[in-house]
Amino acid sequence: MRGLCFSLLAAAVALAAAPRAAAQKTLLVITADQTDYVLAAGGAVAAMMAQGATGYLIRVTNDEKDSWDLAPEETARRARMESEEAARILGFREVISLGYRAGELGGVSPTELRDRLMFYIRLHRPEVLFIPNPYAHYVEVLDRFYAGQAAEEARRAAALENFQPPFAIAGLKPHLVPELYYYAQPVDPRRREPEGPATFVPQPKVVDITPMIERKLRAAKALRTANYSLAMRIRQRLEETGRRLPLLETVNEAAVEKLVEINVRKLGEIGAQGTRFKYAEEFHYAGPEYRIPKSYRD
Amino acid sequence: MRSLALLALLALEAAAAPLPAVKMPSGRLFMVIQPHHDDHTTDYGFGGLIARLVDEGWRGVYIRASNDEKDGAHGYALNDQINLKECLEACRILGIERVHSLNWRNDYMDPIPTQELRAQLILLIRLYRPDLVLGHDPWGHYDRNPDHRKVAWAMAEAVWMAGYAGVHPEHLAAGLKPHRVPYLFLKARVDYGRGHEPNVVVELNESQIARKQKAYSAHRNVYASPAMARAIRKQLAAEGLFVPELEGLNDQQAAVLIEEWYMEWISRKRGEENGLRYGEVYWFRDEFDHLPGLKDYLRENAVQP
Repeated sequence: MRGLCFSLLAAAVALAAAPRAAAQKTLLVITADQTDYVLAAGGAVAAMMAQGATGYLIRVTNDEKDSWDLAPEETARRARMESEEAARILGFREVISLGYRAGELGGVSPTELRDRLMFYIRLHRPEVLFIPNPYAHYVEVLDRFYAGQAAEEARRAAALENFQPPFAIAGLKPHLVPELYYYAQPVDPRRREPEGPATFVPQPKVVDITPMIERKLRAAKALRTANYSLAMRIRQRLEETGRRLPLLETVNEAAVEKLVEINVRKLGEIGAQGTRFKYAEEFHYAGPEYRIPKSYRD
Repeated sequence: MRSLALLALLALEAAAAPLPAVKMPSGRLFMVIQPHHDDHTTDYGFGGLIARLVDEGWRGVYIRASNDEKDGAHGYALNDQINLKECLEACRILGIERVHSLNWRNDYMDPIPTQELRAQLILLIRLYRPDLVLGHDPWGHYDRNPDHRKVAWAMAEAVWMAGYAGVHPEHLAAGLKPHRVPYLFLKARVDYGRGHEPNVVVELNESQIARKQKAYSAHRNVYASPAMARAIRKQLAAEGLFVPELEGLNDQQAAVLIEEWYMEWISRKRGEENGLRYGEVYWFRDEFDHLPGLKDYLRENAVQP
C-alpha cells in the first residue's frame, strides 16, 4: 500500500512539474444524474470551458424516473436529449451516458462502475475532474453517493498500472488527474468547515460563478422534463396540505422556467455567502498543492 | 498559540449553542422504521417524541426490520419471540397502534440487497402514507451496529423514491399511489462524532418522560436485568455507599428503577443543554429542505387558498 502511495506521489510530482495552460486543459465531469452537476457545479465547469478547456461529461444513470406522468422509457429518452442540450450550453464537447437505471446504483457492483469510469479517465486523460461528493451529508439522492464513491476510487485506480491490465494493453496508459473537485448541492450544514489538517485531505473551496450565472441558468432550463416533474411535485405537495403557490397556478413553460431561475439564483447566493461574490459554487478541492507535502516539493 | 486556544474555545461555545425548539410538523400518521425491537425506546430517541406525537393526535406504525434473534440470552428462537412481545408492549405504552415485523435475520442484514429492503419500505410507505418517518440517521458516524446502517440507508431512499410513479409500478397496479414522505426525524448517538448533526430539540413534559421510561424498561430481555442491579449494588457496597430508594427492592425491581432514572437523566440533560426541562435532539428534515434553492421561496410564497 505504501508503494501505491509513492507511485501516486511520483506521478503527481511529474504532473506538477509541467502544468498545462487553462486553454489546453481537459475537464471530465462525472454526474449521477442530469440535474446534480448543473445545479452544484455548472457555473464552475462552464467557466473553465469558456477559457478553452475541453469538457467531457459522464452521466452515470439514465434519469428514467424523474418525470411526471411519463413512462420510464420515454423519460430516459427525453432526459438524454435534454441533458445533451444542457451540456452543449455549458460547453461540453461530448456527453457519455453509461445508462444505469436511475435509483438503482446501490445494486450495481462498485468495482464495475469504478472500472468504467476509470476507462474514460485513461481515455480522455483529464487535468481536472469533478465528482459528486460522497461525504456530503443529508444528500437525498443516494445515486450521488454511489457514483461519487466509484468516481473517487476510479481517479486513484486510473493512475496505477496494476488496475485493469487489459486497459493498458489496449493503449490506455495510467493517468493521474491532478485536480479534483467534489461537488454537492448545499444541504450539508458543515460543508464549509475544514475537513481536517492532513496533507491529502480536500478542503472547502468557493468558486465565483457570477460571469457564468446566465449560462448555468440556460443549461438548467434545458432539463425540461425534470423541471416539470419538480414543479408538479411541489404543486402536489402544496395542494395536499391546502396550500397553493401563485407561480404554479398554471404549470406552463414560463412558470417552470421561473421556478428554475429562482432555484439557480438562490443556490448561487447560498454558495456566495460570506464572500464578495454575487453568485458562487462550493466545492471540496484537492489540487497538487494538497497532494504533495511541502517537504517533497522543497 | 493563544489565538488557537481562543478559536478552540469559540468552537466549543458554538458547539454548545442551544438548538432551536422544533416547530412540530402537521400531519396524522407517523411511521417508525427501525431494525430492532427496542430502537424506538433507546436513550437517544424516540420514546419521548413518540409520546408527544401521540399526545398531539398522531397515529403511529412501527416497522421492525429484523427478528432480534441475537438480542438476549435465550437462544435465537426464544429471543425472537420474547423481543417481539416486549416490542409490542413498549409500543402499547407509547401509543403506537400497529407493529409490522419484516423478520430479516438480526445482525446478518449486510447481504440483503438494499433494494429489496427498500422495496418493502416503499410498499409500506405507499400503503400507510405517513406524513412523518422516524429512523436512524444514515449519515451517522461510528455506528457499529450493521442493522442500524442497513435499515437507515434503505429508509433514506424509500422515503423519497416512494413518491415516484416509475419506482415499483407494480404497486400502482394494486391501487397504491406514489407518496413522498415530507418530514423526517433522524436520530443517532450525539457522542459518536461529527456524522449526526442534530438541528432541533423536541420539548417533552413529565408525562411523556414517564411513558418513555416505561417503554424502555419494558424490554426486560435486554435491559433492566437483575444482574446489572446486583453489580451496581456490589460496587456501592464495596465503596460503603447505598441508595435508599433501592432498599427493599429485589434485583429486578431495582434494575427497572435504575434504568428509569437513566432515561429521566438523559432527557433532562438534553433538555437543559437546550434551555428546556426535558428534551430529545434530532436531525429534522422539513418538507422542502431537499431543495435548498427553493425552500425559502416556497415558505414565503405558498399561501392558503
